[in-house]
Amino acid sequence: MRRAFHTLLLIACISGCAPTIPKAALRLPESTLDIRAIQTRRLEASSEIAILTATIAVLQDMEFNIDRVEKSLGVVTASKLSDADSKGEKASLFFLDMLCVVSSGRSCEASSTARDDQHITLTIVVLPSLVGIDEYSVRITMQRVIQDKVDRIKVLERIDDAETYQNIFDNLRKSLFIQEGDS
Amino acid sequence: MSASKQLFALLCLFLLVSCAATTPANVVGSGTQLETRQIQTRRYDTLDKPMTMRSVIATLQDLGFTIDQADTELGTITATRLHEYTMRMTVTVVEKEGRQISVRANARIGERAVTDAETYQDFFVVLDKALFLTLHKVD
Repeated sequence: MRRAFHTLLLIACISGCAPTIPKAALRLPESTLDIRAIQTRRLEASSEIAILTATIAVLQDMEFNIDRVEKSLGVVTASKLSDADSKGEKASLFFLDMLCVVSSGRSCEASSTARDDQHITLTIVVLPSLVGIDEYSVRITMQRVIQDKVDRIKVLERIDDAETYQNIFDNLRKSLFIQEGDS
Repeated sequence: MSASKQLFALLCLFLLVSCAATTPANVVGSGTQLETRQIQTRRYDTLDKPMTMRSVIATLQDLGFTIDQADTELGTITATRLHEYTMRMTVTVVEKEGRQISVRANARIGERAVTDAETYQDFFVVLDKALFLTLHKVD
């Protein structure tokens, strides 16, 4: 009985240490084409420098810091650390605190415990289109890590929200328009 | 030997072992050099280096990575994917003799290196498609 227990313990230890690499880690998900369509636009610009400058300006407008730029590959990498809680969430937590004060005479401190930070990393790849002249293919990929007050990771995800990407592309179009007007 | 003497001897041995200079763990890696290279490398003769790098970036974006850094001259691209776990990849694109391009990829998931050939094969299947699209001028 004791021997069996030791054998089981040994197996548990060995299997616990064995690396478990997800099988489909580098396989394309079925949603690839949809995601690519959300993340990509073809835009007109006078030059590669013009569209890269406009792109960097948009990232600055969105309060990102530029981490790296590789001009010849059209790669711009940027990131920002921001508050992950939406205004709606904050308002509801504030009302929860108010409710506690009214019912028990003291705050539940819901507002102070819910402050999460998010670290967003973003890559924009701007390359001359393989199809049209004076056209550029722009593709954005974004992901974020949300951590709570004691730095525990709560969320680790790619941002797939179509509206967010659309807003960035709208801003980029505006940025290009303003830039062309200035020059 | 009494129990206290045995304990003392064990303690001395433990101290000696702990004082000995040890090799830092997991610096050199576990796989054999040649085997690792074979699993992680493919050669292509379809496109030039810049266009191959473009295809590698498209592949990494398709697979949900953001690009941390890219260097055209050295041909290195490093990317990270945050999805349930953190996966980091470095891909190097090097020009070889006879207009051939060597592409080598290595990946880690958290603290673990990806060593299985199948995962790298999956990556190169996606890259093959991206190279095909670039070759046929599809954005």
